[in-house]
Amino acid sequence: MKLPMNLDMDRRQCLYGLGASIGAVAFQTMLAGEEQIPSEGPLAAKSGPFPSKIKSCIFLTMEGGPSHLDTFDPKPKLKELHLQEFVRQGEAKSAMESGKRYYVESPFRFRRAGDSGADIAENWEHLAHRVDDLCFYRGCQVDSVNHPTAMYQLNTGNRFAGDPAVGAWVTYGLGTVNQNLPAYVVLPEVSYPQGGAANWSNGFLPGHFQGTAFRSQGSPILDLRPRAEFTPAHQRKNLDLLAKLNQKHANQHPGDETLATRMESYELAFRMQMEVPQILDLDQETASTQQSYGIGQPETEAFGRKCLLARRLVEQGVRFVQLYAGTWDSHDYIQRAHGNLVRQVDKPIAGLLADLKERGMLEETLVVWCGEFGRSPDNGVRGGTAYGRDHNPHAMTIWLAGGGVNAGHTVGATDETGAEAIECVHHIRDLHVTLLRLMGLDDNKLTYFHGGRFKQLSQFGGQVIKELMS
Amino acid sequence: MLARRTKRDRVLTTIMVIAGWSMVPVFLSAQEPTDLEVMFVHQVLPVLQEKCIACHGGKPEDIQGDLDLRSRQGLVAGGESEGPAWNASDPLESPLLKAVRWDGLEMPPKQNDRLTEMEVAAIQAWLVGGAPWPSPSRIAEIRLESPTSNLESSGVTVRTSGGLSETWTLRRYPREHLWAYRPLAIATAEPGDREEGNLVDHWVGVQLKQKGVEQAAEADRRTLIRRATFDLIGLPPTREQIRAFVNDPEPTPQAFSSLVDHLLESPHYGEHWGRHWLDVVRYADSSGFANDYERGNAWRYRDYVVRCFNEDRPYDQFIREQIAGDEIDPEDPEMLVAVGFLRMGPWELTGMEVARVARQKFLDDVTDSVGQVFLAHMLQCARCHDHKFDPIPTRDYYSMQAIFASTQLVERAAPFLPDENTDGFEERKYLEERAAHYQSVLREVEGKHTLEAARAWYQSQGLAPEKFERVVQQLRGDQDEKKVSFFQVRDEMARQGIDPALIPPRHVGFEPVDFGKERVARKGLTRLQWQRERYEPYALSVYNGMTPRWGSVHAPIRMPGQAALSGKIDATYILDGGDPFVRLQEVPPGTLSVVNLMGVNNAASEPLPTSAEGRRTALAHWIASPENPLTARVMVNRIWQWHFGRPLAGNPNNFGATGKLPSHPELLDELAAYFIRHEWSMKAMHRLLMNTRTYRQSGRHPEGERLQQLDAEQTLYATFYPRRLEAEEIRDAMLMVSGELNVEVGGVPVRPNINPEVALQPRQVMGSFAEAWQPSTKPETRNRRSIYALKIRGLRDPFMEVLNVPASDASCEAREQTTVTPQVFAMFNSEISYDRALALAHDVLTHQREQELAIQEVFNRVLGRSADSEEIQWSIDHWVEMTRTHEGLQFESKRPPIEVQRQAVEENTGEKFTFSEPLEFNRDYVPDLQPGDVDATTRGFAELCLVLLNSNEFVYLD
Repeated sequence: MKLPMNLDMDRRQCLYGLGASIGAVAFQTMLAGEEQIPSEGPLAAKSGPFPSKIKSCIFLTMEGGPSHLDTFDPKPKLKELHLQEFVRQGEAKSAMESGKRYYVESPFRFRRAGDSGADIAENWEHLAHRVDDLCFYRGCQVDSVNHPTAMYQLNTGNRFAGDPAVGAWVTYGLGTVNQNLPAYVVLPEVSYPQGGAANWSNGFLPGHFQGTAFRSQGSPILDLRPRAEFTPAHQRKNLDLLAKLNQKHANQHPGDETLATRMESYELAFRMQMEVPQILDLDQETASTQQSYGIGQPETEAFGRKCLLARRLVEQGVRFVQLYAGTWDSHDYIQRAHGNLVRQVDKPIAGLLADLKERGMLEETLVVWCGEFGRSPDNGVRGGTAYGRDHNPHAMTIWLAGGGVNAGHTVGATDETGAEAIECVHHIRDLHVTLLRLMGLDDNKLTYFHGGRFKQLSQFGGQVIKELMS
Repeated sequence: MLARRTKRDRVLTTIMVIAGWSMVPVFLSAQEPTDLEVMFVHQVLPVLQEKCIACHGGKPEDIQGDLDLRSRQGLVAGGESEGPAWNASDPLESPLLKAVRWDGLEMPPKQNDRLTEMEVAAIQAWLVGGAPWPSPSRIAEIRLESPTSNLESSGVTVRTSGGLSETWTLRRYPREHLWAYRPLAIATAEPGDREEGNLVDHWVGVQLKQKGVEQAAEADRRTLIRRATFDLIGLPPTREQIRAFVNDPEPTPQAFSSLVDHLLESPHYGEHWGRHWLDVVRYADSSGFANDYERGNAWRYRDYVVRCFNEDRPYDQFIREQIAGDEIDPEDPEMLVAVGFLRMGPWELTGMEVARVARQKFLDDVTDSVGQVFLAHMLQCARCHDHKFDPIPTRDYYSMQAIFASTQLVERAAPFLPDENTDGFEERKYLEERAAHYQSVLREVEGKHTLEAARAWYQSQGLAPEKFERVVQQLRGDQDEKKVSFFQVRDEMARQGIDPALIPPRHVGFEPVDFGKERVARKGLTRLQWQRERYEPYALSVYNGMTPRWGSVHAPIRMPGQAALSGKIDATYILDGGDPFVRLQEVPPGTLSVVNLMGVNNAASEPLPTSAEGRRTALAHWIASPENPLTARVMVNRIWQWHFGRPLAGNPNNFGATGKLPSHPELLDELAAYFIRHEWSMKAMHRLLMNTRTYRQSGRHPEGERLQQLDAEQTLYATFYPRRLEAEEIRDAMLMVSGELNVEVGGVPVRPNINPEVALQPRQVMGSFAEAWQPSTKPETRNRRSIYALKIRGLRDPFMEVLNVPASDASCEAREQTTVTPQVFAMFNSEISYDRALALAHDVLTHQREQELAIQEVFNRVLGRSADSEEIQWSIDHWVEMTRTHEGLQFESKRPPIEVQRQAVEENTGEKFTFSEPLEFNRDYVPDLQPGDVDATTRGFAELCLVLLNSNEFVYLD
């Protein structure tokens, strides 16, 4: 572990006054230069019941519902049907089905890439070189057509807010190896997705498992530092007095562990305050690495930084990193809207995959690319000749990469217009079960007793999608 | 009514109604069934059917592992991996037994389905006994005729309205899981008659005696007043109050009793205890989900709750008002406000959603909410199937739901009451300013849809504009072309059936940024309609009538015309799997059958009204009845929890089989009976619970280590269990000790300072961005008690969130008290915390410049005690050192920005765009005391204050 060197004081001096507190133990370890992996506590690192090489997960959340029909699931039939009227009937109609609707062809051309011959739209120039590392899945379905409820379902398994996110479950099951960084980090867009921070909530799990958003503007973690006028040395003095007062109070209340835990949290916070800025400092990476992520190019800069940061975080032992890119909610002008988005994420994602592979980390990392639902082959007339698409919970494309993944294959299929999954069809709960399994966890055993029953990520149990696993 | 006895002994009278299915056995077959056969039918077969057959039976292609458990033949044949499931020669090694024990194999695989010890024991006994499996006809006979009394150990059956399957209906429940349905077990003596003191000390004492532990000594008076004051009003006692109590010449029990009486008269009592209630009902000022529209008038329900607690409104009446106030007295505005309870869940209907699904979401939400809040039952479990653990058939769930079939959502006219605080409405002017801004944006962008822009579009698309020009010509006639709008042309082209590909898009002339601007402005105007409700005499309420046919709801809903009130009420059906499109049988309105059939009257309840009106009144009377065994128990359990930090029955929202059993069942029942006898008075309960040795004892026990061994679950009450202050208590206490707290009661929500980055954080709502969080303009408005802070579901105050304020999505039965690192960032690093420390330092030094006395003043305000000589020395050293540090520091005054630039990806075009949001309130923002306003000595002193505000002694209460 590296100690921050930007402290304007001597390292030993900064420990003055800590002698009696629990925090001192951890600090002694820091001085000895040893990494300490705690064996106790809710975040202690542990393994799941199944063998797995995966240590971390990078979840690429394409918020807004990317169109499978314009990315990884070509439908030549839509060329024939283009602008023919589309009729949907039945009781379960929403306003989304009102008015005249037309089939819409994809404005993108497709190719077959890699040795595996995976279908991919031509504008994914960079990812096309990595398809042999990916397992595409076209069989997933969800329950909701609304963004926040679908996002909650993707993230927590439940359409309603209040349940723990996948990252919370994973860190509950596996803990984390680096106690100086949050176990579950979220890299949201500047604007939070619909449904807000409940998308990375610990839900009913204890607060330790809450996702920590590293914000892309301003302070990465809220109030990570006090006002700019105050130096770490200044703060250290306050901490030392606090430790003395707390210790005196604790001596009068022997046996109360919560007091010690709270004292310790102040020292941990101080260490995190030092470590996080270093992790975020992407200038520590070589120019060529930065370029490979698209850093330095305006359109890929933002997501490229997130992808590179994700690699640095998992390298440091962060268990679960979730990245947001969006919004893919292209109801109109899909060519321009999806075109721009693909340009923003294509190179960074391909760069991330290549970098992970080069460093031998891909086998230890699970990478997931997923939106909250797919898009419809048809659209209402919103802006005249509006080539856009509405929401579609019945079909979507997801891809996975990393250790244990059935790379180089496309699993499942949709019908001829891409309206509905018809092969290897699974509810998203089964994807959740599979993700846990890939990380060595058993959804049926990774439970938490709350609200009168053992709750689990899949809500009521699901099955592993074996086809996605190698 | 509950029996009231006057006998002096403490004999408990319990009325147990265990339904008996057993009749005189009459067997058609020649042979009487063996005990093993009977056990198989009653104890083994139901488990196999419920827990195994789904995967090991049914259709051949679905059978897992080739094991078919529908017959003895299948059992003996076994599965592909383990061979015969019953090992005849060594039954204890049978794969079936090992699997259900989770020994090697783990079946059923889900934790929730795991068999109980009792079920495993039955299977073991059956396998060891030779695994007899009678024929189907004989099984049927045994089921109906065989006595079950000899199976008492395996649980009892319960009469309900019946499940979807016979197996469920005949299910057996461990006797102890049914405690909550039994009538109260009432001690026959009045509490005052006890030699041992009141009933709390009596029943706590009984268990302590069993364990051989003494209670801790009485806490000192300083500790007591701090404990009681936080407990009843959520604020720390002042130095003067502490002094008065410590010096009260009365003996401690009498002095303490007067203190409790005094605190119960405080208007802040209702704020603190009302807030507990708001946790349970999930209060929020917004609707959640995609739009998260503000519920501008929700605050009136919040203040109603505060008022009820302050007035000690009887709890039974409080229940009736919240469930059926509008039916009980529609002329009383307060009653229209009270039923806001039914609206507390998140809900919306967007154009993307199917209306019936959204309606069903409301019905499910309100049914479950009533179940959890008043009856401590997780009714949602019975939405898709008969309840897996409790005797609640899905029929009862939908019968309860049928009560709400006529309940419709409305923002209903309800004049302000004299009791309501209507100050601060003048802030509405800022909203009107915002509206004017959006209107000007709309005028600006809409001006871009010109005929010229359309022509440019034809050119860019390489399309011929002839048809367009022809229509323009037709429309203008002799007039100037300027008289014709683009939209007229567009509509006319569509009307003439011109190929849509040749009609310019609606947004012609728009740059990507214009799409975004237009959307933000339109959405902004929509959102303002909801925010204006704050100042309008409407209530978040309900009415009875037919279900409106809405496509979407984007504005407050007003009362419909008479036709909608008298139209046909939706029938309610049992929904298969909870799916609103798959109806099973129709059910009439009804209540929980197990409560009726196991209750005092041991009979089905009176039928409920089936007209639009009166359903909820009937439900409210059924709940708020002394004969309902759940209601009083549920509330006294909550009150106990809020006093003692843990409930008597472990899960205040779940008295069913999976809830933790009461640690002191007799006490719980006697408290419930006391509550009913004292006219459901909450203040009577506070007096009863607090004026006890148990409450007044010290948090330090002389045999601390031994007690930890004996009392790992912390339910013995041999000591007072310390607790961390709740988030609101921490914030309010900080404001109070710094002298900044404005103690005004009630009124429109205020907006305190929150983390400034979060305040400006762009937040997506459907098709747009939500408005920024602008703090209220004046410090005295911002620094109100936390209960008055605007509570937006999609934008939580991070300071409160990290300190475990629950999200308003689900009912919160108990606050968490986890200790996590971000709490340190919030309390030690944030400006919010620092501002309090600075104000505290400044306020103290304004009155007291003498160093040691100033330090004592801070210790007394923050910790409720004086500093000892060591602490004085530490404090002086720190103050001096930090003052020196501060002498070199310069501080810029911070003000929130008066506009914010937002960059976002426009959803239609995928282009990034920027727009600016004016921040009208911020223009008039008056800052709190800033570091630049005071000298280095004060700032140095503020560092000491900050440390004390972060100390364990401040945030823990013992």
